[in-house]
Amino acid sequence: MPEQVPRLLAVFLTASVALVIARSLLVPDTFGDIGHYRAAATDSVVAHQKKYAGHQECALCHGQIQEMRLAGNHRGVRCEVCHGPAANHVSNPLEVKPPAPQDREFCTLCHEYNASRPTGFPQIDPADHNPHVPCIACHEPHAPEPPGMPGDCSACHGQIARQKAVSHHSAVPCTTCHQTPDEHKVNPRSVRPSKPTERDFCGACHAQERLAGIPQIDLTAHNPAYLCWQCHYPHYPGTS
Amino acid sequence: MQGYIYPNEFELQWSLLIVLYPYITGLVAGAFILASLERVFNVKEVQPTYRLSLLTALAFLLVATLPLLAHLGHPERSYEIFMTPNRQSAMAMFGFVYAWYLMVVLLVEIWFDYRKDMVAWYRDSKGFKRWLYYALTLGSTDISEKALRFDDSAGRWITIIGIPSAFLLHGYVGFIFGSVKANPWWSSVLMPVVFLFSAIVSGIALVLLLYMITTLFRWRPINMACLDKLAQFLFYALVVDFSLEMLDFLHRLYESEESIEILSQMIQSRLFLSLIVLQILLGTVIPLVTLGLFSPGLKRGGFVKVRPEAKQLVYLACAVLIQIGIFSIRWNVVIGGQLFSKSLRGLTVYKVEFLGIEGLAMTLGLLFLPFVILWILVKVLPPWTDQEVGRLAKATG
Ligand code: HEC
Ligand code: HEC
Ligand code: HEC
Ligand code: HEC
Ligand code: HEC
Ligand code: HEC
Ligand code: HEC
Ligand code: HEC
Repeated sequence: MPEQVPRLLAVFLTASVALVIARSLLVPDTFGDIGHYRAAATDSVVAHQKKYAGHQECALCHGQIQEMRLAGNHRGVRCEVCHGPAANHVSNPLEVKPPAPQDREFCTLCHEYNASRPTGFPQIDPADHNPHVPCIACHEPHAPEPPGMPGDCSACHGQIARQKAVSHHSAVPCTTCHQTPDEHKVNPRSVRPSKPTERDFCGACHAQERLAGIPQIDLTAHNPAYLCWQCHYPHYPGTS
Repeated sequence: MQGYIYPNEFELQWSLLIVLYPYITGLVAGAFILASLERVFNVKEVQPTYRLSLLTALAFLLVATLPLLAHLGHPERSYEIFMTPNRQSAMAMFGFVYAWYLMVVLLVEIWFDYRKDMVAWYRDSKGFKRWLYYALTLGSTDISEKALRFDDSAGRWITIIGIPSAFLLHGYVGFIFGSVKANPWWSSVLMPVVFLFSAIVSGIALVLLLYMITTLFRWRPINMACLDKLAQFLFYALVVDFSLEMLDFLHRLYESEESIEILSQMIQSRLFLSLIVLQILLGTVIPLVTLGLFSPGLKRGGFVKVRPEAKQLVYLACAVLIQIGIFSIRWNVVIGGQLFSKSLRGLTVYKVEFLGIEGLAMTLGLLFLPFVILWILVKVLPPWTDQEVGRLAKATG
């Protein structure tokens, strides 16, 4: 055998032996016992101090809130997602108080409009959605309600409602003059309430002697050529 | 930014350093394959560049992993991939491809090739150098006819093993990108092949550059036959490389997957300069036409006949353009693959930082480092054939 071969082989052998020795020294004992990692790593993870308690723990003392949450829309959002790691609070509830996020920025972390959120996930544009008012003023954080049907006409016709509220007609409900199907509140543009069309409609209150306290006119004499609302704004009637 | 991108696509994870990495590995594979040409196929003309190619391959190979290490940020943990090999991970297996290529192929080939000279240098020199060369010979100082013949045939065998190894080394880099199924810009089985041929192109161009520059600085005449042959190979490699790239391109166009729209948008906006202008026009078409006209690739002596000095300048310019083009290819693959959103609805931008571990300064430093290493290697193991001829003549005469 030429002398080059044993010398080269010696180098490779040394390198291989060095590798084997290095492996036996450097590879942790439990490496590969379970998978391609150090099995004892699980123990070192277990040894870490616990920071999160888990939502079942909270239920022991905050049962009501837990029930409320599980029945509501935030049933999938665990307590500590909002209140932060609270293991210390569980072991020492009076000394350690977890924070309760009250500002709008917190809710918008999840609810601000973002095209990458799944379709159908409830999202709002914080600049438009009731700005400057804390979200929790309207939504109970533990069981937020989906957009319910607004009960009052004022939700949408604020201007008219405010005017009417300080007018002579404050006591007259909107629906006396506008027959409003419920569907109007959901699809306002396609389903429209009725509007008075003739003088007789106003006359029902204003041309009847018998209705006490209501200013009266004579329907036949009082500007008969015109509709009443051409001179009197019905939501804020005046005489000038 | 333009259109819609996912929040985690805003910042590019694979930076300039990851552009550098396939570029450098490509140079290694290319330089080695050039050396193998001389060895295995016995191309006499390029013999003056044989050793230079080997040393170039070695210098760049030593640097090849540094961009990755700098990018990952924990170089002190790198040995772990050798300690606990993970066969499921292509990235981890690369460590072994790399080690195999470095230790078994490149170093051993260089050793066999230089052994005779190292013995001579060991005998000629004194003091530290004497010990250095002795250590380098591993104490094997037999330079009898028989021993030298063994060196030669051992070297040849190693080259034969080395060619598939070099293919593996750079094919692997293409594989890493080509196997990312989720990325339509990368996912392609052609990727390793395209990478390989662009590697060969870049390696030949680099050795051509180095050969010209080093001869110039040593005040020696340039061997025109060698240069012509290099240019000829460069031309052929460029033809294959360009056809493969066009094939890939046509294939994508014909397939017209849903990603085609955003990709063409990306090419027209973000990659216009680096792909259309730098990669295709300056880096491929112009050198291709020029080499076709001037090099002996298509016609002996070339279509256009000029004085050797002019021709040298033409080759030099082509080699520089090709380097720019190949770097652009790496850029377009690595950065391009991250510029469009996986939603296929938007494009982001990449801004290179200057300082910082993934910055431009680092990249330039890493790009410069192989040349420093090469300079040292050349000092220790001079690859020049002309000198050697002179010294051998002196020794025998
Ligand atoms: C051992 C009983 C107990 C458990 C378990 C417990 N808490 Fe409490 N929690 C309390 C008591 C007591 C208070 C104090 C009420 C007070 O000061 O008015 C409190 C108060 C709070 C407050 C209000 C803090 C404030 O500043 O007013 C929050 C929020 C809270 N707990 C969250 C949690 C969460 C989340 C969990 C589960 C990880 C949890 N608690 C588990 C007993 C408990
Ligand atoms: C979506 C976020 C969110 C989740 C989930 C949540 N909380 Fe709260 N919690 C809040 C906010 C916001 C407040 C502050 C309300 C306020 O100040 O009016 C609060 C207040 C509290 C308070 C003190 C005031 C009160 O209403 O008594 C307690 C106790 C509490 N949370 C416990 C819990 C527990 C227990 C759970 C899990 C069952 C839970 N929270 C889940 C957001 C959340
Ligand atoms: C960790 C993310 C998260 C945070 C923080 C969060 N929510 Fe939610 N929210 C949800 C999820 C999940 C739902 C249920 C969505 C579903 O049913 O598809 C929901 C549902 C709701 C709904 C019901 C909307 C509907 O149409 O069903 C409202 C209202 C709501 N959240 C308000 C709030 C408010 C106010 C806060 C701040 C106190 C808040 N959320 C904080 C995740 C979050
Ligand atoms: C002034 C009361 C008010 C405030 C403050 C308020 N909301 Fe609402 N929110 C509503 C009402 C009313 C609806 C249902 C009507 C609607 O869709 O606008 C609603 C609906 C929602 C919905 C359901 C939207 C959907 O499309 O399903 C979410 C989510 C919501 N709000 C989150 C928030 C968040 C987060 C904040 C704080 C940044 C907030 N809200 C502040 C009154 C309020
Ligand atoms: C959800 C918001 C919303 C609610 C709640 C709502 N409206 Fe409307 N309403 C609208 C919109 C929007 C229009 C259409 C305005 C337009 O087309 O210019 C409208 C139009 C009307 C009109 C005019 C119809 C016409 O043909 O010109 C009347 C009258 C009316 N609403 C009365 C009511 C009354 C009375 C209530 C309460 C019982 C009510 N609305 C509640 C949104 C609402
Ligand atoms: C006294 C009867 C009366 C009452 C009460 C009344 N309206 Fe009207 N409303 C009218 C009349 C009359 C018109 C005018 C119809 C026209 O111009 O064709 C009208 C028109 C409207 C219109 C369409 C034109 C406009 O001004 O925008 C809306 C919307 C409307 N009313 C909403 C309301 C709401 C909301 C309330 C309760 C807050 C209300 N109305 C109460 C009689 C009334
Ligand atoms: C349901 C009965 C009712 C109907 C219908 C009604 N009004 Fe009246 N209206 C009243 C009452 C009650 C007052 C007086 C309130 C007060 O004492 O201030 C009043 C007051 C007025 C006034 C008096 C203003 C003043 O300065 O004293 C005018 C003008 C008027 N209504 C116009 C109309 C017009 C126009 C219509 C038809 C679109 C109409 N009203 C329909 C009940 C009605
Ligand atoms: C051409 C304009 C015009 C039309 C149309 C009109 N009014 Fe008048 N109305 C006035 C003026 C001006 C006054 C105040 C002067 C007056 O007392 O005669 C007035 C006064 C009133 C008063 C207050 C009387 C009081 O004693 O304080 C009532 C009530 C009233 N109108 C109801 C109606 C009703 C109902 C209609 C429709 C049937 C109607 N008006 C149509 C112009 C009009």
